[in-house]
Amino acid sequence: MGKATGFLELDRQDRTYSDAKERLTHYKEFVVPLPEDRLKGQASRCMNCGIPYCHNGCPVNNIIPDWNHLVYEGDWRNALEVLQSTNNFPEFTGRICPAPCEASCTLNIDDAPVTIKSIECAIVDKGWEEGWITPQIPTRKTGKSVAVVGSGPAGMACAQQLARAGHSVTLFEKNDRMGGLMRYGIPDFKMEKDQISRRLMQMQAEGVVLKTSTEVGVQVSMESLRENFDAVVMSGGAEDPRQLTIPGAEMAGVRLAMEFLTQQNKRNAGDDEVRAAPRGTLTATGKHVIVIGGGDTGSDCVGTSNRQGAASVTQIEIMPKPPIKEDKAMNWPDWPLKLRTSSSHEEGCDRDWAINAKRVVGENGKVTGLECVRLDWSNGRMEEVAGSEFILEADLILLAMGFVGPVKPGMVEQSEVVLDVRGNVAANVSDYKTSQENVFACGDMRRGQSLVVWAIREGRQCARAVDLQLMGSTTLPV
Amino acid sequence: MMRKCHLNTCPVGVATQDPKLRAKFTGQPEHVINYFFFVAEELRAIMAEMGFRTIEEMTGRVDRIDMNKAIHHWKAQGIDLSKLLHVVDTKGLPLHHTETQDHGLDKALDQDLIKASAAALESGDAVHIEREVKSLNRTVGAMLSGEVAKKYGHKGLPENTIQIAFTGVAGQSFGAFLAHGVTLELTGDANDYVGKGLSGGRVIVKQPAHVKREPTENIIVGNTVLYGAIAGEAYFSGVAGERFAVRNSGALAVVEGTGDHGCEYMTGGVVAVLGRTGRNFAAGMSGGVAYVYDEDGLFRERCNLAMVDVEAITPDGSDAENSTGAPTQRASNVHDFGMGDMLYHSADRLRILLERHVLYTGSKRARAILDDWANALGKFVKVMPKDYKRALKQLEGERLAAANVAAE
Repeated sequence: MGKATGFLELDRQDRTYSDAKERLTHYKEFVVPLPEDRLKGQASRCMNCGIPYCHNGCPVNNIIPDWNHLVYEGDWRNALEVLQSTNNFPEFTGRICPAPCEASCTLNIDDAPVTIKSIECAIVDKGWEEGWITPQIPTRKTGKSVAVVGSGPAGMACAQQLARAGHSVTLFEKNDRMGGLMRYGIPDFKMEKDQISRRLMQMQAEGVVLKTSTEVGVQVSMESLRENFDAVVMSGGAEDPRQLTIPGAEMAGVRLAMEFLTQQNKRNAGDDEVRAAPRGTLTATGKHVIVIGGGDTGSDCVGTSNRQGAASVTQIEIMPKPPIKEDKAMNWPDWPLKLRTSSSHEEGCDRDWAINAKRVVGENGKVTGLECVRLDWSNGRMEEVAGSEFILEADLILLAMGFVGPVKPGMVEQSEVVLDVRGNVAANVSDYKTSQENVFACGDMRRGQSLVVWAIREGRQCARAVDLQLMGSTTLPV
Repeated sequence: MMRKCHLNTCPVGVATQDPKLRAKFTGQPEHVINYFFFVAEELRAIMAEMGFRTIEEMTGRVDRIDMNKAIHHWKAQGIDLSKLLHVVDTKGLPLHHTETQDHGLDKALDQDLIKASAAALESGDAVHIEREVKSLNRTVGAMLSGEVAKKYGHKGLPENTIQIAFTGVAGQSFGAFLAHGVTLELTGDANDYVGKGLSGGRVIVKQPAHVKREPTENIIVGNTVLYGAIAGEAYFSGVAGERFAVRNSGALAVVEGTGDHGCEYMTGGVVAVLGRTGRNFAAGMSGGVAYVYDEDGLFRERCNLAMVDVEAITPDGSDAENSTGAPTQRASNVHDFGMGDMLYHSADRLRILLERHVLYTGSKRARAILDDWANALGKFVKVMPKDYKRALKQLEGERLAAANVAAE
């Protein structure tokens, strides 16, 4: 709500980054928070829209104008209360959410939305700092037990909500640390992982039992979960990567982005090479790196490669270069397709669009380059431009071309749940029920690859559906 | 979407006077045309899906409303819509508008008044009519004024061309929209909305000779009297109800007391109150002047001072030589009721209003005040809207400047 004329008096001012040269020397976060008085000013720009589009722009329906107003008033404690009423993990979204809320902000019609994400992050950071965030231990246990499989943002949110409703929750994770792709996919320079660990401690205090290095479908069967728990939630993500099927792709220098990112994240966590890289060390140091895929994971590969000291980094994208500025009348308040330049891009890399990889070039099984061809999309279809072939020099090719859906072998196959046409686990967003009794699905495993904030939404809503199923009624929010 | 139309901060420049924000407006008329086409098209699609050909077929068909989505929302818990969605047994009668309402206009008192005023309407000859009135007779004088306006426009007829003397109790909106040249004189009392939209005529409501009641303590006209009046005169020898002269923009009125919220949102005209007012007098009053006989000296506590100043009535200073004219005993036409330059002449104006009040109603209170004028004047206060005064001063300044230029 802020101040009626705030947006007329103050320009948008967001958090800045520390200098690119400096931040490339480490893997720590480099966002410089705004001082409190500046944040108050930025919060005052919120206009208390009659119909706040940010409410629905935000997948967890954050009650944004209300906490903006509370920050403007200096009432941080209540701001935190309101923020946490819709979002279990604002410290995650305050760091790595692309902020569709800001795209839907009325002030984005003029490209100057309220700095919602920075305000969100400041509220929750202050909450931790002041010790206001404490475990919300249920006063009464229901006697029901739930297994949540997959500890990404969907599984974490679901487990936390269910524990707060009084259920005995066990959260299973196949990796050695909790957090899913947030833990091992997202580089530390975007979010340091003690953020996740701190939340997990809160969840443990709330009664969630954490089981790492336990892959359901391998170490533990789906059947035993269904026998031992009143309900099972499948929140295993969509980790099946889109593969490159061109000649030469089998060479050792062609690697999946997730393998590359996971190794560095483990090293940052203090693991030695045996634990961090059980299949052998993979780094970009001194190499010419090509990242195939122009999305966020590709961008994370660029930032990580530069930190490792790559000789050069080139990122290519199959789709044409999007416009720098979207057509507001057509787009707003929806998320616009437009050119986005991440902090990793700013740190140095070449980017090119409308390019298809044709063949990996190599000598003796060692990658030396990537043969590409330019694409013409002007007819709405992908057409190769004849004679436009060229070769990019490369020692390492990282594949960041997205994920096609959940990994099928293991839990998914064992559970015998029906899949939808895209290969995700079929369930709707009102009861989150799979085709199997008392088995639910949420997050990327149900909707396909998406944002952390969507996963949190689904985890919360799925928890409500589970609670309703187990208890016949629920007080968990929609 | 924004709902900030009242704050002058419309971020897309639609509902704002701020040039910086107005520059952001990118709309074109064609967008609205387009929008309505889409609305119509979508409505057609929904209707076709539901099997309706016309809006009339759909009217009242609550049985076809799908409410599951709405009632399943958690916010709707505890809301019982069943009464709202009750299917009425119409016993074969249609559910939509098929016949027009009979307002009984052919039986209205005005039909008789129009006939009796034929000479005035046709050739401008003065007529004098006497009638009884009762509370069933509503908007007495409005249709008659319509006839006057059809033929003579807003200017109307010469003063007092149609004079009608009523006795009894008038129904709602007595003298509504009364045109110039028509005078309604009621001996008795009247309901709410007397002189609503008064447009130049004169409304008089006075005490019957035989009653013993004290006029300054008894209601003679109801609530919201002179609502939205634009011109004309009103004299009431008794107390009015609440919201007296609300939204008055040009009429003159004398009354012997008011209920709460007198002169609310008034933008023009002159009101004289010869007795006690209710609370919240002059709330939102941005124009015109009110004079109040403040016998107990407590009027300031009953007045809403947000937009007005309460001043003593003092003799005009030397700047009165700038006046555009002094008040006159008689009104001259529908545009000038003889009130003179509103920046000056308060004492004269008030005295003239009181004299007219005595003339038309025989008010004992007004007579007594005039008889003790030297003393009584000191007890009157003037309610002057701050912005109105500033605007009048500014106009005077511009006029004087223009006159100086012309003189040189």
